[in-house]
Amino acid sequence: MRIYHLLLESTKYSLKLIKSQAWWIVLWASLIFTFQWWILPGWTQQPITIKTLIRADEAQQLEPLVTKFNQQHPDIKFQIVEAPSDSNQVEDLYTSSFLLGNSPFDLVYMDIVWTPKFAAAGWLQDLSDRLSQNEAQKYLKGDIEGGMYENKLYRLPFRSDAGMLYYRQDLLDKAGYAAPETFQELLEISQDLQQQGLVEWGYVWQGKQYEGLAAMFVEILQGSGAFWVDPDTLEVGLDRPQAIEAVEFLRQAIALQVSPPGVTTYAEEETRLLFQNGKVAFLRNWPYVYSLALDSPIAGKYSIKPMVHAVGQSSGATLGGWGIGIAKTSKHPDAAWEVIKFLSSEASQREFILATGFVPSRVALFNDKAIVAKYNYYPKLLGVVQSSALRPPISQYAQASDILQRYLSAAITGKMTPEKAMQAAAIETRNLLAS
Amino acid sequence: MLNKQEKITGWLLLLPALFILGLVFIYPIARAFYLSWFTENLGTQLLPVFTGIGNYQRMLGDGRFWQSIFNTSIFTIGSVTLELFLGLGVALVLNKSFFGRGIVRTIAIVPWALPTAVMGLAWAWIFNDQYGVVNDILSRLGIIDTGINWLGTPALAMIALIVADVWKTTPFISIILLAGLQSISEDLYEAHRMDGATSWQSFCQITLPLLMPQILIALLFRFAQSFGVFDLVQVMTGGGPAGTTETVSIYIYSTIMRYLDFGYGAALVVVTFLLLIVAVGITSLMLKKVRLD
Repeated sequence: MRIYHLLLESTKYSLKLIKSQAWWIVLWASLIFTFQWWILPGWTQQPITIKTLIRADEAQQLEPLVTKFNQQHPDIKFQIVEAPSDSNQVEDLYTSSFLLGNSPFDLVYMDIVWTPKFAAAGWLQDLSDRLSQNEAQKYLKGDIEGGMYENKLYRLPFRSDAGMLYYRQDLLDKAGYAAPETFQELLEISQDLQQQGLVEWGYVWQGKQYEGLAAMFVEILQGSGAFWVDPDTLEVGLDRPQAIEAVEFLRQAIALQVSPPGVTTYAEEETRLLFQNGKVAFLRNWPYVYSLALDSPIAGKYSIKPMVHAVGQSSGATLGGWGIGIAKTSKHPDAAWEVIKFLSSEASQREFILATGFVPSRVALFNDKAIVAKYNYYPKLLGVVQSSALRPPISQYAQASDILQRYLSAAITGKMTPEKAMQAAAIETRNLLAS
Repeated sequence: MLNKQEKITGWLLLLPALFILGLVFIYPIARAFYLSWFTENLGTQLLPVFTGIGNYQRMLGDGRFWQSIFNTSIFTIGSVTLELFLGLGVALVLNKSFFGRGIVRTIAIVPWALPTAVMGLAWAWIFNDQYGVVNDILSRLGIIDTGINWLGTPALAMIALIVADVWKTTPFISIILLAGLQSISEDLYEAHRMDGATSWQSFCQITLPLLMPQILIALLFRFAQSFGVFDLVQVMTGGGPAGTTETVSIYIYSTIMRYLDFGYGAALVVVTFLLLIVAVGITSLMLKKVRLD
């Protein structure tokens, strides 16, 4: 009771104090406000502000580069707005900002699969004239192609990403195998390792119904000599025999118990944990696993190589990665281009990659002295990234991907036969592209 | 009787509320109705082109939409029914006086207070086939030899979703029912006991009828909420496997935000809205009847 009284009294007292001073506070605040927003800008030459929206974790990693840019360019102020850590949400935020018009963002930091949609919606500026042929050749070919829509460039790659096969060198050595090259070898070696009791499971991959399933499947398609959608002719190849064989490989991996049955629910992280904990011999994943697994019980026991493929075919690595485009609504495209040039320059990329362990988009950096000294596997990574396969760069990609995900998920969970599932997926995709 | 002056004042006072209601409810609904007669997608450069009932015709042949309606209904009926029974049980327990009741009541609300996306992730791990707690318990009890692939099997994935939802929202129902229970006078039970009624008879003849309004309100809330379930499913299964857990709101979200197919998305919203209105209408009719009785 006493405490309650005390509280009440002190609240009353402070209210009184505020009342008497409220006038002054309001007056001062409005004075400062006027000065800050109307008078000050008139006195000084305000720099152009260039804004972009990036996931908070990556925005923090980019902070040193932002500071450096702003020091070197007193006339431009580059500013990153921090977005949620889920990239789907970032896509939604960009989408709504463009739909509502008058987007606050000058630069668009994009995942490779957003590019065709954003370009088709007319939200991006054509960058083709800004990038010389000579300069374009310094980037990974697939990364530049992933930024094109209808033969125009809309996105300059900043960092790359590609799917690859991780394998346990120690287990292969023990059993006397070389790393597998074909689908068949992968299954056989896995079975043998499992039978010898060296490892619990053979191979894990992303089988959950989500974008990662489509990304993973593009590699298997390429390795089987099949294709999903030809971006030029809009032909759909999902119901061809090679594509059905590709699904058959995934089905077999589950049927032979090389992959655990739960693989059809795994995203990247579930598969990474299984691999890191030494429960599997082979893993399909992105480069980020490499540095994380260095801190795990299997450190020093694993290696990477391009994805396995069918006999007589070659490997495919699905390209991911992020790049930068200029929003159609930006009032300062030239200043925005300055930012892009700075960020994608060799020096900036080197600094960023050394700090984060991401994959560069410039070919030269894979054999860069400073980078190789820190990450000795990057020259090997270049081989993986160069066997790249693109998810179809079509404007309706999100829809096409959902169709594939649903039917592929049906096929690998045994709800439909691979043949039926791929035929249905092909029909729906054709309807989509025709509409 | 109110005089004219007072009536006008009354309406004037209502005006701001009506205005806000119009802004946040009536305008968006009317706009969705309007938009559903147009095709507006990447194919039309995001410009509206009149198509009449084209979107509705397309919906009739859209298996994915009907499957999502079916999935959502299963999810809603399953989770709401279970939550009602469990919630009633919890409310009855919490209504009794026992040592530490205050603390138990607070703890009982915790699941309801957690962010759905976070607990969705946790439940996805609980049902994981390799590391999951559920499989671990079942195998220790000797019920299964190999891990069940919960989230990868259509029917089991739906059950997993329902279990997670029941865990999260049962507290909500029990809080509402608890409030109802506390308004029932103890005298009624005493008189009933004197007449020789058993506890079960008291429950059926006093508790249930007097609790009916709260039960219906809880049902109404939960029904509307779980028909629009999004985050839990998005995090736990993403609509998989093979689209067997995709709910209407996930499909609408994809159509509008990811496919940029606004006209068709609006048509989906309209039909879902009408279905929901019908369901809510039936429930409120029942509510009225109970109140009149």
